[in-house]
Amino acid sequence: MSSSTTLTAAAPPGPTNPTLRRPHWPARLDLLQSASGLVLGLFMWGHMLFVSSILISQDAMWTISRFFEGYFVLGHSVPWLVSVIVGCIFMLFATHAALALRKFPASYAAHRSFRDHMQAMRHEDTTLWYWQVVTGFMLFFLASLHLGTMLLRPDRIGPYESADRVWSDCMWPLYLLMLFAVEIHGGVGLYRLALKWGWLAGANPARTRRRLRLAKWTLTAFFLVLGLASLAAYMRIGIQHAPHYGEHYVPASLGGGAQ
Amino acid sequence: MSDTRQINLHVFRHNPLDPASVPHLQTYQVEEAPGMTLFLALSELRERQDPSLAFDFVCRAGICGSCGMIVNGRPRLACRTLTQELPGDITLLPLPAFGLIADLSVDTGTWMRAMTERLQAWLHPADPTLDLSRIEQRMEPQLADEIYELDRCIECGCCVAACGTAQMRKDFVGAVGMNKIARFGLDPRDARSDADFYELIGGDEGVFGCMTLLACHDVCPKELPLQTQIAYLRRRMARAGA
Amino acid sequence: MKIVYTDVLVIGGGLAGLRVAIGARRRGLDALVLSLVPPKRSHSAAAQGGMQASLANTVKGEGDNEDVHFGDTVRGSDWGADQAVVRMFVNTAPKAVRELAAWGVPWSRVRRGDREVIINGQRITLTESEQAHGLLAQRDFGGTRKWRTCYVSDGTGHAMLYAVGDQAIAHGVPVHERKEALALIRDGDRCCGAVVRDLASGELIAYVSRATVVATGGAGRLYRVTTNAVICEGMGAALALDTGVVALGNMEAIQFHPTGIFPAGILVTEGCRGDGGLLRDAAGHRFMPDYEPEKKELASRDVVSRRMAEHIRKGHGAASRFGPHLWLDITQLGRTHIDRNLREVKEICRYFLGVDPAEAWIPVHPAQHYTMGGIRTDASGQCPTLRGLFSAGEAACWDLHGFNRLGGNSVAETVVAGMIVGEFVADFCQGPDGEINVPTGLVRDAVAAQQAALDALIGGGDESADAIRIAMQQVMTDRVGIFRDGRELAVAVDELEALLLRSRRIGVRSEGPGPNPELVTAYRVQRMLKVALCIACGALARQESRGAHYREDFPRRDDAAWLQRTLATWPDPTATRPTLAYEPLQVSTMELPPGWRGYGERNHIEHPDTPARAATVEATQTAEQLSRHALQERLMPYRHLLPPSLRGDNDRLGDLPR
Ligand SMILES: Cc1cc2nc3c(=O)[nH]c(=O)nc-3n(C[C@H](O)[C@H](O)[C@H](O)COP(=O)(O)OP(=O)(O)OC[C@H]3O[C@@H](n4cnc5c(N)ncnc54)[C@H](O)[C@@H]3O)c2cc1C
Ligand code: HEM
Ligand code: HEM
Ligand code: SF4
Ligand code: F3S
Ligand code: FES
Repeated sequence: MSSSTTLTAAAPPGPTNPTLRRPHWPARLDLLQSASGLVLGLFMWGHMLFVSSILISQDAMWTISRFFEGYFVLGHSVPWLVSVIVGCIFMLFATHAALALRKFPASYAAHRSFRDHMQAMRHEDTTLWYWQVVTGFMLFFLASLHLGTMLLRPDRIGPYESADRVWSDCMWPLYLLMLFAVEIHGGVGLYRLALKWGWLAGANPARTRRRLRLAKWTLTAFFLVLGLASLAAYMRIGIQHAPHYGEHYVPASLGGGAQ
Repeated sequence: MSDTRQINLHVFRHNPLDPASVPHLQTYQVEEAPGMTLFLALSELRERQDPSLAFDFVCRAGICGSCGMIVNGRPRLACRTLTQELPGDITLLPLPAFGLIADLSVDTGTWMRAMTERLQAWLHPADPTLDLSRIEQRMEPQLADEIYELDRCIECGCCVAACGTAQMRKDFVGAVGMNKIARFGLDPRDARSDADFYELIGGDEGVFGCMTLLACHDVCPKELPLQTQIAYLRRRMARAGA
Repeated sequence: MKIVYTDVLVIGGGLAGLRVAIGARRRGLDALVLSLVPPKRSHSAAAQGGMQASLANTVKGEGDNEDVHFGDTVRGSDWGADQAVVRMFVNTAPKAVRELAAWGVPWSRVRRGDREVIINGQRITLTESEQAHGLLAQRDFGGTRKWRTCYVSDGTGHAMLYAVGDQAIAHGVPVHERKEALALIRDGDRCCGAVVRDLASGELIAYVSRATVVATGGAGRLYRVTTNAVICEGMGAALALDTGVVALGNMEAIQFHPTGIFPAGILVTEGCRGDGGLLRDAAGHRFMPDYEPEKKELASRDVVSRRMAEHIRKGHGAASRFGPHLWLDITQLGRTHIDRNLREVKEICRYFLGVDPAEAWIPVHPAQHYTMGGIRTDASGQCPTLRGLFSAGEAACWDLHGFNRLGGNSVAETVVAGMIVGEFVADFCQGPDGEINVPTGLVRDAVAAQQAALDALIGGGDESADAIRIAMQQVMTDRVGIFRDGRELAVAVDELEALLLRSRRIGVRSEGPGPNPELVTAYRVQRMLKVALCIACGALARQESRGAHYREDFPRRDDAAWLQRTLATWPDPTATRPTLAYEPLQVSTMELPPGWRGYGERNHIEHPDTPARAATVEATQTAEQLSRHALQERLMPYRHLLPPSLRGDNDRLGDLPR
């Protein structure tokens, strides 16, 4: 090779682009994971509000339960409608869990090194991710059980029915755990989602992050308080109702025996 | 004049090439001087107490990225860490995720070169026939500043050491790698499209492997906008790959 | 024994080394780079201020061209530079800066319209033209008549080194990091590689090559107070010296930078003063106009450093626990300007001083900054006394800088020399001289000699390497500094000699495999002392003041006796002083005959050939109406010295219709 007489910004003879095209799925899976997380997260807010209707009154809770069974549209309850909703959520949940599984530490050694790292760093967002994994793992079992119940016995949702399940069927310890797990998991998840895709970043991303963090803790605290109060309400009703275990709730307006 | 303080440096010691060497922490006492950085403290240690101590400093001015180490749990540039900002007990460990050479000295160079090769993290000129005797191509001043903002990375490895994902996946490109792609993606002189960049980082070892732990952003000594850049890159790559 | 073969062995992974390697690689040769550290950590990364290239894009650069850059550089060098080399350099610098732009360096760009700047402490509005919008911006630097310094905010060296480093990877140039060249392998008058120590494993490896390029950077660590990185220990100069035949040129020419932060020595950029920063004394008085009414803070570095030292001596320094210092005041530039253009300065102040430069003054003191001298080469970068050995960058005495280098000319030199020398290295390898036939015995002996030297240190005598190093640095700072005089220098030479003798009895306690930092200090300090002696002996012998070399006992520049380049060699390894020889500079061929620099003292002793040459030059300039290129060609032809691809003229905005 001889040197040319004009000097150019010649391209290097180095390695060129790989000819193998990369598949689409990594991008799609990531989108799907976020989308499923987002829907689940928003769903849980709604869910907690519905469930907490017990704090307003037993009739309110009854009304909402019947609403989802199409009672006010069709004139009578169709419990399998709830099963359909549950089924959808279950599928979303399963998808989300399956996708999330890919992010789990692949081995005990990986888990160990993450834990050691987290403990040394004491960095909030890193620690929170660990809790997301732990709570996700818990939800894998707890929520599956819960969703299974809802899927198979959609007719047993109501102020007494639910209260009996919580107390007499001894589900409350499970719900307590699940409540904490889901509030931590969902709250952190939504917060991370916003940062992950750069939503709401605005002109001052550092400030946005501080605000998001505050919003996350506030919401988590709010839903925990709400959930605990609801759970307490169900337990109280469950204790009172224990002698009549299995009876359906019928609102006073329909001539039922509700107090 | 405030009375001087004795500081205890607990320094990781290990020589992997010596079969007799066992990793351990060795404690040294140093008398603190005003304006003492960890560079000064460690240099004094080596000059006066233990000439065998291995560590890496080059510029000692926070410019070159040689002196990343874990200071009381966090990756930092030791040369620009004033001891007065730390408690009296200081634990120094080598950066994880990189090969250990000895004591506090790690091999970030090999890692960075491999990353650069893997990500083809250099400018792929849009016009390789540009004649260099002619007036240069124009660029918007604002854009030039924005590129420089990302070009400021000093490859210190702090972001990789701080990243939990990188602890678990050895093939993860880290914030440093993603920032490089973002930097070339911003540069109009680079011929590559988002589809080309997707080939390089559109995977779980790349941008979709990042779990938004953001420790990278929080420790980066150059305060690079990693949080927003990774998010921006993710959006672009999700669009390119979807 | 491990032997690595390559066409071109480049010792040094800074800007100069990497650019040489890319040049050779582009010509189809195998080039391999050795570096003490990952290449992007080389000290080139520390250059903040910028790179000179006469582009004439900004209003304050209008009218700039190679001729003006040439004049500034030669005057800056105090006529110590090789003028043909300066011409080669100024013609290639615009190409180099444009090549870097094409490689991705995010050079700061010109913005059209009005802009407020501070010149001489006064607020002035500059209006940039529409045509210049988006072209490379340029700032003011000391010792230049036009604004010529291209910059990337204040991380110029970093951005350049990363672009070039990435291109080296793109070109597939292997870099063997953490490898230290300990000795050159010499077969008679032919250099054929180097003996190298792996700094991670401690192992010795032989590298055999057709051409060897030393691009090891500066030697600041010979001094106690320096702006240089801790790896700038002059090991390239020592490598050359140890061959016994290679000469070091002008080692006494050491530049001191006016603004090292006090006491650490970390540099704050000249850009601070270029942008309008002022120097103040203990009383807050701006003293530079008293000494240099014309250029004030922006006189060349040697002048400003000396004035600062002089002012401190007069007792005007601000007192502190570590001694007296002066102040750099950039508060009037405003926070916005500092945040945008001087951010590294802000960071340095915050992290190393705990002050905010937008509000407080910065304590500064002159510090060793640059070694103008180095391995003497010809214009092609080759060493005249050892075939196959080349040198480029700060390690070389190509002789672009003479006795004082201008700010911004050094990073420019690294890439320009890289472009030029890279071509000549390739020519050499591809020509008849490139053939090489090294007997294995020779290589084995070279490695064995180094191994023996290292073995002798381990468990050797009872001297401590660190103690000797600290003593050497103190001697250099105290006695071979900004102000020099015969008595002090003689003492310095004696003390350094004594230290050299002591260094031969160093004993290293650490042993075993691995890096062994104690051993590294030991063998380096032995070498550093030799380089230090070249500086001190050269300074003692040179009985004049020129550029950065200032003798209080001989305050005038003496062209009659000293228009000569010092050449130091070390033929006898057991000797304790270098052998000095001199190479005269030819006034009769100079394009710019010696005269007054335009700043500093105006009292030099004239060379006998100067009047005649000056008359010839003037006559040529006035006699015929020649174009500037033709005139230049008539006065001092140089283009034939350049590789063909670099001979062309450079386009500029001003040459096009505005
Ligand atoms: C603080 C500071 C600011 C500066 N600012 C500017 C500026 O604004 N403008 C300007 O023009 N100039 C500036 N300079 C000067 C300029 O930066 C340097 O002169 C230039 O970068 C030197 O480049 P180089 O390639 O020659 O050497 P370096 O970049 O120093 O590289 C030397 C290389 O050699 C290697 N090496 C050394 N010894 C050995 C060995 N024995 N074996 C193997 N490898 C070895 C090192 O690892 C390194 O890779 C500045 C200098 C300093 C200190
Ligand atoms: C089997 C049960 C579940 C498991 C194992 C699980 C696991 C995970 C894991 C590991 C992540 C982190 C993924 C990442 O960092 O990229 C995650 C994210 C998320 N999860 Fe779950 N999760 C489960 C159920 C739920 C439920 C019930 C909700 C609803 C509240 C939810 C909401 C979210 C959200 C919003 C995210 C953020 C999505 C993202 O980062 O892309 N998850 N989940
Ligand atoms: C469509 C699907 C779902 C339906 C219909 C549903 C319904 C209910 C109902 C009726 C209750 C009251 C207690 C009971 O009857 O047992 C309840 C409680 C609860 N559910 Fe769900 N659920 C659904 C999905 C989920 C999911 C996905 C999660 C979380 C992973 C979840 C978490 C909880 C928790 C934590 C409680 C206890 C609330 C409290 O503390 O008051 N549920 N749910
Ligand atoms: S991104 Fe920041 S932390 Fe990471 S290598 Fe670059 S400078 Fe260091
Ligand atoms: S810490 Fe790691 S997971 Fe992503 S946001 Fe930073 S790279
Ligand atoms: S030594 Fe260069 S960044 Fe610390």
